[in-house]
Amino acid sequence: MMRAGPSQEEIRKHNLGTLLRHVHLGGPTSRAELTSLMGLNRSTIMALTADLTAAGLVREELPKDTGKAGRPSLVVRPESSRVYVLAFDVGVDRLAAARVGLGGVILDRRVAVRQRGSFDMAQVVGILAGFARQMLRKTRPDTVCVGAAAAFCGAVRKSDGVVRIGPNIGMEETPFGEELSGKLDLALPVNVGNDANLGALAEHTRGIGQGCRDLVYLHGDVGIGGGIVVNGQLLGGFAGYGGEVGHMIVNPGGRPCGCGSRGCLEAEVGERALMDRAGRNGSDAVGRDCVRSVVDAADRGDVVAQEALHGVGNWLGLGVANLVNIFNPEMVIFGGTLREMYLGSAAQVRSQINVGTLGASRENLRLRTSGLGDDAPLLGAAELAFGQVLADPLDVLSRHTS
Amino acid sequence: MSQGPVLELRGINKSFGAVQVLHDVAFSAYSGEVTALVGDNGAGKSTLVKCIGGIHPSDTGEYFFEGEKVHVGGPRDAAALGVEIVYQDLALCDNLDIVQNMFLGRERKSGLVLDEASMEEMAAKTLDGLSVRTVTSLRQHVSSLSGGQRQTVAIAKAVLWNSKVVILDEPTAALGVAQTAQVLELVRRLADNGLAVVLISHNMNDVFAVSDRVAALYLGRMAAQVKTSEVTHSQVVELITAGRSGELGIKNDNGAAA
Repeated sequence: MMRAGPSQEEIRKHNLGTLLRHVHLGGPTSRAELTSLMGLNRSTIMALTADLTAAGLVREELPKDTGKAGRPSLVVRPESSRVYVLAFDVGVDRLAAARVGLGGVILDRRVAVRQRGSFDMAQVVGILAGFARQMLRKTRPDTVCVGAAAAFCGAVRKSDGVVRIGPNIGMEETPFGEELSGKLDLALPVNVGNDANLGALAEHTRGIGQGCRDLVYLHGDVGIGGGIVVNGQLLGGFAGYGGEVGHMIVNPGGRPCGCGSRGCLEAEVGERALMDRAGRNGSDAVGRDCVRSVVDAADRGDVVAQEALHGVGNWLGLGVANLVNIFNPEMVIFGGTLREMYLGSAAQVRSQINVGTLGASRENLRLRTSGLGDDAPLLGAAELAFGQVLADPLDVLSRHTS
Repeated sequence: MSQGPVLELRGINKSFGAVQVLHDVAFSAYSGEVTALVGDNGAGKSTLVKCIGGIHPSDTGEYFFEGEKVHVGGPRDAAALGVEIVYQDLALCDNLDIVQNMFLGRERKSGLVLDEASMEEMAAKTLDGLSVRTVTSLRQHVSSLSGGQRQTVAIAKAVLWNSKVVILDEPTAALGVAQTAQVLELVRRLADNGLAVVLISHNMNDVFAVSDRVAALYLGRMAAQVKTSEVTHSQVVELITAGRSGELGIKNDNGAAA
């Protein structure tokens, strides 16, 4: 069917969402700046901010002394303490929940250590829902929750949020979002996304990758996850499984991987490979502590630890070199445990990149560690949860306040 | 970036008595970039830095700052240009707090008394601009800080004065793994904020992790100054230990291949 142009109502909805997104991502912004950012005239901006203010999504204030002549333009601020979402992060070793206000401010948070071993859905969902209840109990009555989302260390189907496979956490085909949503009992769906994809989104919108339209984010947990932002958009692929760089095969016939294949990047670079090479398989340290213990030993002159880091760094560099050749990113970000691993083996990583990439692809490449640290997936989940209210601010808000 | 270097030295020679420490050294540092200065012990790194900082005036050679030829006769000249050096020993006073340390010798006054409020505000702003979250109170005595926090304070002190070039002498040498990571990220942030950073380090991982260029000194000569994206670890090691690596580095006087 042919469609006429968008209706007045649709344009208004779009403009409200765009304005809210500017304030959400850019922080307090003056009306004058919004006028030039959005290319709308002043009276339209005024009408839009009036609507958002009436809904309680933003408030307007006089700016502090601007030092310029003339009447200062009112500054539009997000109502961070009033409008919030619930964000969850399920990692192999860590469960986290946070209440994140509009504008990306973490208002409250809870973290628990997860014991490795088989995945107990009821237990994980129970812990997260418990955290959410604790945090909700402390909120004031005039606050409103406009969404919920979770980052999960596994491949997640875009259409319905079912976790298809999480080899390192030991689960398959689980409707995690549905379960958590049921347990929360807030009449809110819980969106689910891959943790590294959401980490990439967070670094792109609020972290070290702000202003970069093309970046690759690599997240080290037990395995290696990845998120790829191309021209400002997260690469999802056909069904949402895009960006699984951890299963890129870098060493044919190499170490066995949890996914069933051999020589995947995560099999050669992940925590198990590092511990194996360093001869520390019996060690109790997991996650960050384990990587740190090896980097520390290498720093103190332990030859085995040095060799282990060299080996892992070479494979990591090879993997990044492939990604640089394919995507020509402006920035590659090392997050999670890869932060320590990159800093501890940067000589190997960069040498491999410098040898293995086209000169033109790498000439503007910047290698950085995560700006948000361990919170990247959590803040990414919050962005996912804010998606709806940013798409249609007034409707979502009226639904949740009624 | 196609801009010229903010700091450029040409043909620097420096002798202590009969010993010539620097031979015809050229060196540049660029805004927004970290330049790693590497070299073996005794290669002349510290002497070069002291020439830049005006502590040892060079015997001959030219000093350009933002494209202008300047004369640096002492540390105050260098500081006036916006060149700050953080030495390995950090030069912090244990018995003073963070703010007092950051303004030591350059205190702000309002009338006859010290303007504590504005100094504290500036210190807080500087640390905030560097995204430093490890320091809880600005009125803590420096003696109570960890190695990484001290390094952070020393770096913040150097940045406070609208500096354009900050030179860091082995900032991670005495630190553990976690603190090394924080300091390296801080070094990178300084450059990303637009400063020209010169990093002296013996640790190749630190060099490759944060630098944009590598300048290798070999027995008082500049073996090569190259982009970090164009060399490998083994090439840099060869430049440090042998002064050349393939096409890079110091050529033999007779022109014969090595």
